[in-house]
Order: sequence, then C-alpha cells, then structure tokens
Amino acid sequence: MGKFFEKFPDPLARLIVVFLALFAVGVIVVVVLIPKPMKAVEMQWADAVKREQGRPIKYAGFHACAECHDKLYEMKKKGYHRDLSCETCHGPAKAHTEDPDKTKPVTPVERTFCPQCHAYNPSRPRGFPQINPVAHNPLKPCASCHNPHDPKPPTTPKECSACHGEIARMKAVSHHVQLECTTCHEAPQQHKVSPRAIKPTKPQTREFCGKCHAKDAKDKLAKNAPKIDLAEHGEKYVCWQCHYPHSPEVEQ
Amino acid sequence: MNPEFIRTLQDLLPQIQGYIYPNEIEIHWGLLIVVYPYITGVVAGAFILASLVKVFNVKEVQPLYRLSLLTALAYLLVAPMALVAHLGHPERFYEILLTPQTSSAMAMFGFVYAWYLMAVLLLEIWFVHRTDMIAWAEQETGVMRFVHRTLALYSRDTGDRSVAFDHKALKAITIVGIPSAFLLHGYVGFIFGSIKANPWWSSVLIPIVFLFSAIVSGIALVILLYMVLTPLTGGKISMRCVDKAVDFLFYAVIVDFSLELVDFIHRVYQSEEEIKILSEMVMNKLFASLVIIQVLLGMLVPLLLISLTKIFKRRFALNEDLRKMVYFIAVILIQMGIFATRWNVVIGGQMFSKSFRGLTMYKMEFGGIEGLLFAILLLALPIMILAVLAKILPPWREMHGADSGDVEVAGS
Repeated sequence: MGKFFEKFPDPLARLIVVFLALFAVGVIVVVVLIPKPMKAVEMQWADAVKREQGRPIKYAGFHACAECHDKLYEMKKKGYHRDLSCETCHGPAKAHTEDPDKTKPVTPVERTFCPQCHAYNPSRPRGFPQINPVAHNPLKPCASCHNPHDPKPPTTPKECSACHGEIARMKAVSHHVQLECTTCHEAPQQHKVSPRAIKPTKPQTREFCGKCHAKDAKDKLAKNAPKIDLAEHGEKYVCWQCHYPHSPEVEQ
Repeated sequence: MNPEFIRTLQDLLPQIQGYIYPNEIEIHWGLLIVVYPYITGVVAGAFILASLVKVFNVKEVQPLYRLSLLTALAYLLVAPMALVAHLGHPERFYEILLTPQTSSAMAMFGFVYAWYLMAVLLLEIWFVHRTDMIAWAEQETGVMRFVHRTLALYSRDTGDRSVAFDHKALKAITIVGIPSAFLLHGYVGFIFGSIKANPWWSSVLIPIVFLFSAIVSGIALVILLYMVLTPLTGGKISMRCVDKAVDFLFYAVIVDFSLELVDFIHRVYQSEEEIKILSEMVMNKLFASLVIIQVLLGMLVPLLLISLTKIFKRRFALNEDLRKMVYFIAVILIQMGIFATRWNVVIGGQMFSKSFRGLTMYKMEFGGIEGLLFAILLLALPIMILAVLAKILPPWREMHGADSGDVEVAGS
C-alpha cells in the first residue's frame, strides 16, 4: 500500500486518503446505516397519506346539511349563492351533524362578514355586487334586507340614504334637517341604476340658496334662516363653495 | 378563515392593495432568503477575484489573493445556514445529501454546494497554505502546532516535486473553480429564473444578472476588507493593488448595470399582462429599495465616483487619501446596493398577487428565526469566521508585502 502511494506526489497521496475516507464514510452511511424505508419515496408518501387521514374531520359537506335543512338547501340551490357551500358561511359543521342539539354552527350576523366578498374593491369583477360598508345602510345587519340563502340582485334603493348614509346622518343633525335631498338635488331615475354614469344635479346659481337666505326671501321655510345681501356677500362664488350645505355653520 | 391566523395578519391586512389571493397575504420567503443569495454572491465574487491572480496573472491584485480565498470560505460556510434555518428543521439538513432527490433543483443545491466547498475552495486553500503550514508548525508549540500539523494532513514534504505539484494543482483547481463559482451563483439565479409562474423572476437573464452582481459584491467586499484590515494589522494599503481591483469592480458594475437595464427595457417593451402591477410595485412598494438604493446609490453614484477618479486621473493621482476615501465610499455603497438587489428580487417577487390585481406588504420580524436580529447575526458570522480563519491561516504577509513583490510562501 505504501509503495502504491509513493507513485503520487506527497500532497496528492494525502488528499487521496482523505477523500477516500470521506467517500467510504458516505457510502457506509447511505448503504448500511440508513434503513430502506427511509429511502423509499413510496413509503414516505404512504406515511403522508396516513398522517393526513389521521387528522380530525371538521367539515361535513353540504349533502349532510341538505338532509335536515332541505328547504334552505332547495332555496340556495336556485339562488346566486348556489356555488357556495353551506360551511363557507356557517363554519365547520361535522360536530353539528353528529349531535345537532349540542353544537350549533355559527350564523354570521356581524356587518363585517358579508363585506369580505361584497365590499367595494376596484379589482373585483365588474357586475359583482359590491357596496361601501360605511355608507351602505349603516348599522343594519345585512340579513335584514338580503336573504343570504337567496340573495336577490341589487334592487333600486328607495332612499338616498341607502348609498349616501354619511351625508344623511350629517344632515340629520344640521340646520338643513327639514330639507329633502330633492329640494336641492334633482336625481334622475337612471342615477339609481348606474350611479357613477348619471349624476344628480347640484345648485349652480347663487339665487338658488337665495330663495331662503337672501334678504328679501319669501319662502315659508326661510322665516328663521340667516339672511344675507346677495349683492354684497360672496361676490362671484356659488354659495356651496364656502358653506357646506349638508352641515351649514350657524354664525349669524 | 381561521380567526387565529387572521389575528396574526392583523397588521398586514390594512396594507394590502387591490385583490390578492388569501395565500398571498403573508410573504413566506423573508429576510433569510434575502441574506442567502447575498452571501452566496460574495463567495462567488471573492473567488473570481482570487482567480484573477492565478489564472489571468493579474499581479497587481496579489495582496488580495489569500484574503479573498478566506473570505470566500468564511461566507460559504454561512451561506447554507440561512437556508436550513429558514426551512425550520436545521437538524435534518444532511438528509438532502443522503437521500438525493434529483428532480428537485433546490435539493441538488446540496451537491453544488458540496462540490464547491470540497472540490474547489478547501482544496485550493489547502494547496496554497500547505508548505506554509509545514513551516509554521515547525516554529510553533502547543495547540497551534497541532492545528497546523493536522490541517497539513501531517505532510512534511517541501521537496521540489511536491511544491511543483502544488502549483500545478492550484492552476487546475482555479480553472475548474471559475465555472464552479459560476455554477454556484448562476444556480441561485436559476432557482428564481426558472419559476415560470412568477413574472418578476421568470427570465433567462436572471442567472447572468445574479452572477455579475455576485462578482460585483464579492470584489467590493474584499476591497473593503483589505482597506480596513491592512491598516489595522500594521500594514500599508497598496494603492496599485486597490486601483487595479477597483478597475475590475468598475467593469463588473458596468456589465451588471447594463444587464439589468436590458432586462428592464425588455420587460417594458414586451409589456406583458403583468407590466401594470409590476410598474405599480416598483413605483410604490419598492421605490426606496429599488430606485433609490439599488440603482441610484448602489450603482449610479459608485459608477460616478469611480469615473471621477478616472476622468481627473492626474488630480487624484496626487492625493492618495482622497482616492482611498472615494473608493471606500464607493465599495460601501455597492455592498448596500447589492443587498438591496437581493431584497428586491426575493421580496419583490412575492409582493404582487398572481391575480395581477393587488399588492401585499412584507412585515419584517425583529426576533425569531426569520427576524432581523438573526439576519444581522448571519451577516456578522462570516466576519467572525474570517477572524478565526485569519488566525489559523494568516494572510497578512501577503497583504502587506505586495509592493516588494515578495509573495512566495513562507519558509520555502
């Protein structure tokens, strides 16, 4: 053996020994020490399948719901939520199917739940029903108007406050509380269908506010309204450029 | 969704823009995966600098030779730590070597790494230091004598035949080493470039861009270490050496910059479906790290600084200290820029949704295994390892003795 290594330069001989030793250790570990099952991929996959199977089942699937709640199931099947599973909203219900009285699935009633899908988001597909959760009928639970098992496509809102809730609330505590929205705005019927394309009007002249607030106003409602001289006050500006009409200030 | 999971993402949820898929809220490849290509890049770059001396016979940068080899080794030892720490079960790392999965590019990294460490870097360092270690061991006593003896594999042969073989072997290893260094870092780029589903990564240019940014960061780091360590160990910085190394650094930055520019122009000209969300990401979420740090501070400013020393050559030739300062600032900025490059690739690639309709946000932890503290530790660790290596295999003689041209091994 010593003779064999003498053929090589000294550094090379030493390196050969080191690398052969490393290689031998590697081979021994791989061939002898590692048990076969550890190297067999199929076995590991089988273990993974077993492990997954061993996990507790929490979801029952909608067929299980349909057995008892057949009316709701039939209703949902025809509605817009037909592609949603019951447990999407009600949460895992396996425990409920096993003992219906003991565990009840959740019924989400808070206003943060539906907006997870229906809050306005520019990236959502066009035509998908979306609302602004702050302005859309504030404080009302979604289910008080929409039946979640058969949600109807958006109906035309009856009142302005359905969409403009913030303005409505502000106006309700202002001096303009008694004025209808339509006193100042003309809202074409089409605005309720395509709100962004067809917009309501805004008063464009000083004389409009002057109907109540001019010195010589004759309107009945204007009896106690603050009066100004239109000729002297505000020059060329339209009134709402300085005064916010939904919450006008009180200074006399 | 699981309420507990939602709670952990509470801080992130308000930061999300547009629509993203639920599994994209949290960025899974975090800071550690940023640190990993940065450190690997330094290894490849430092090695390329070392090979300038051995293969391309650039005598001026000889003082950097051993330093760059030791730097490469110190960083290489730390490189996989970021990965195994990120995977969460560091104690299982050896299994990828024992039960190889050849169809997984990531698993094959173990072999690329082992090849580079065992067949290139350790061998080259061993051959460079063999006769030195024999000589040192003869003058020493105690532990250091034992360490040097053992590291020299108890070789005592300093005869002509062995020394001649050392030189031949070194040449051969360095020649094999260059493609290996390219493989090591090109591979890191390949991992990203081959991810078809991610348009920020999926580009054939990515491995090459990674390679050149690696060369840039490696050369810059070795220059920085040389400029800091030489005065600290009582030597004088050889400006001939630094000038030459900065020359190479300058060219490498230009190539790197051009490649990234080509990639950028190509993306903009192609204007595929993802271009909108990518441009929004670059202009908002990545503006500071990409436009300001990576491009402006990390490339354009250093290029300008180094060009200044070239344009006003005569003026700078008179004032060595000024030139040193300009180089010093340039290499530090380049380090910052390359780290930002890694950040932008890794984090940027996960910030936009596969829906191309939304952006998420990266929330960095402070403590914990994925946190800032651990990343800083990983970045500091190679410097500590380098300090130990420099104790065992001191490169100082070579670093100090460049001007006299005396670079032959001690004791021979």
